[in-house]
Amino acid sequence: MIPTTNKITKPTVLKALCLWGLLLFVLPARAQTDLNRYTTHSTLFGIGHLNQMDTYLSPFEYEGLQGSIVHEKFRPTHWLDGRIVTQQKTEGYLGLSKNPAQSASAISGSLSYKIGWHYSWTLASSLRLFAGGGIQMLAGGVYNTRNGNNPAQALARTGLYASGIAAYPFHIRKQPFQIRYQIDLPFCGMMFSPNYNQSYYEIFTLGNYDHNIRFIHPGNAPTLYQSLTLDFPIKGFTFRVGYGCDIEQSRVNGIKNHSYRHSFLIGYVKDFYFLKRKENRHKNLPNF
Amino acid sequence: MKLSNILSRSILLPLLILVCGAGCVREDEYQNDLAGNFDALWQCMDRNYCFFNYKREVYGLDWDSVYAVYRPRINNQMTQQQFFEVCCDMLGELRDGHVNLYSSGDVGRNWSWREDYPANFNDSVHQLYLGTDYKIASGLKYRILEDNIAYVYYESFSSAIGDGNITAMMTELKTCNGMILDVRNNSGGNLTYATKLSGYFTNEKRLAGYIAHKNGPGHSDFSTPEPEYIEPANGLRWQKPVVVLTNRSCYSSTNTFVRNMKVCPQVTIMGDRTGGGSGMPFTSEMPNGWLVRFSACPMYDADMQQIEFGIEPDIPVSMNLEDLKKNKDTLIEAARSFLTQKFAE
Repeated sequence: MIPTTNKITKPTVLKALCLWGLLLFVLPARAQTDLNRYTTHSTLFGIGHLNQMDTYLSPFEYEGLQGSIVHEKFRPTHWLDGRIVTQQKTEGYLGLSKNPAQSASAISGSLSYKIGWHYSWTLASSLRLFAGGGIQMLAGGVYNTRNGNNPAQALARTGLYASGIAAYPFHIRKQPFQIRYQIDLPFCGMMFSPNYNQSYYEIFTLGNYDHNIRFIHPGNAPTLYQSLTLDFPIKGFTFRVGYGCDIEQSRVNGIKNHSYRHSFLIGYVKDFYFLKRKENRHKNLPNF
Repeated sequence: MKLSNILSRSILLPLLILVCGAGCVREDEYQNDLAGNFDALWQCMDRNYCFFNYKREVYGLDWDSVYAVYRPRINNQMTQQQFFEVCCDMLGELRDGHVNLYSSGDVGRNWSWREDYPANFNDSVHQLYLGTDYKIASGLKYRILEDNIAYVYYESFSSAIGDGNITAMMTELKTCNGMILDVRNNSGGNLTYATKLSGYFTNEKRLAGYIAHKNGPGHSDFSTPEPEYIEPANGLRWQKPVVVLTNRSCYSSTNTFVRNMKVCPQVTIMGDRTGGGSGMPFTSEMPNGWLVRFSACPMYDADMQQIEFGIEPDIPVSMNLEDLKKNKDTLIEAARSFLTQKFAE
């Protein structure tokens, strides 16, 4: 039996979504008031192993390949003497996997956006530590190529996560390098899920709601993201290689779901320095 | 360092321990041997099939006993074909046309819902009624019979129909005295087409039935049944008498269509009982890759009665052999007489 104690009503869900939206709108806006600061942009491409399961579609783990792209913006704010940094991460992946018998395929993918704020401090050894948290939104789906009335499963979740980063810059032959480890741990949020054997026809054609928005926490959705990267220079450009591990899991409405992704990451890093615009000059220039 | 301690020791570490403690979300695994595959199939049905309780009442189905009967038949000396047959025999105990087992070389099925009964349909004779100059509006074939009765044949709800098709057909047939809507041998397809078409035969929103789904693995774990309504279609709607012709091959979405039409006031269901199939089928699989289909979401009629084993017609009519010899379709002829009489009233 599915426990009904944590039943969420539609008004509660709407209120929570509004609060989420407000936070997303207000916090980045405040963080952009100081223009004189560095921003680090990085774009990483990943390829690696995918292990995906959703018992709504099949009780078996599908394994295959996945490719991903991650874009990250990292910038300090003026808060707490510049000790608070903002991190925005947009990530998308697409995977193709097969069942253990190699007789069926699944296509899966998701797009996620995270914005987080970290408090930073530097240890004597130049090791920089960051700890904080943020908000994540994720949407995606899994499509099983041979199922009938349950061919696909939609993934949609949003929530708060805690985050820690350790970055260690060092030099080899006067060239700057940096090793960075990050871990993100979602700790509460909401996700969409059909009920155990509820069809999408019931949810979207007939509009029958049955606990389809659920509260998630590490007990029913133990999820973590971590990455270990190395930044290194080549001819004035900074490149980044590393390993990414995305463990997304949930156990709601009697449906078990997981997506384990291990990626080799490679990409580039760019630093930008924003200059404050001088007032009343070049008024006719377009604002871009 | 105070804030760092709070963030790292009070939040991150306990969270990490909690995530690791919650562990991996995985499913029990079965061995990919004959015994493992059999057990996986039995359990898949045990956790997901939606008519155990109903069929226990109707004919005494006991899924645990089924396991006890069929499991000893599995041995390592069996061929894959023999194993497939035992699995199909076990699934056959469910007497459900929506339960199938698909291997690369065969489809396990139970079609007793139509194979054990008279067809009440003859292709050659049916073709004589349609002729060669019938019109086709997507999946709908139609013509006007000599006595000014509209004849519409819908062979499969897998054939798409849109509002434009139905409106065009009704415009063409609007001068007729009545309509025969023949869904014999229509074994189902897309449920939305069934709902869409039935909306052209009502002028008000009507309760057609209920739908539920399993909300857990237990045999009695069901959601509260939700009402299903048919809404009147926008634009031209049929206002004259209608006869829906049925036989035992009306299954799945067609069964639901007949359920919907039964609540429309000017509609009469004529022919044989429908084949049934009121469980919306879902799909799963076995460790060896065979696909298994099963009924997951039960649908009921407007009185909350099961329609898994079919819907009785308002007027039972069977094919008469003497009529067949004269190239007459007894059901179509009965419908024509009925509609002509109804129009005269």
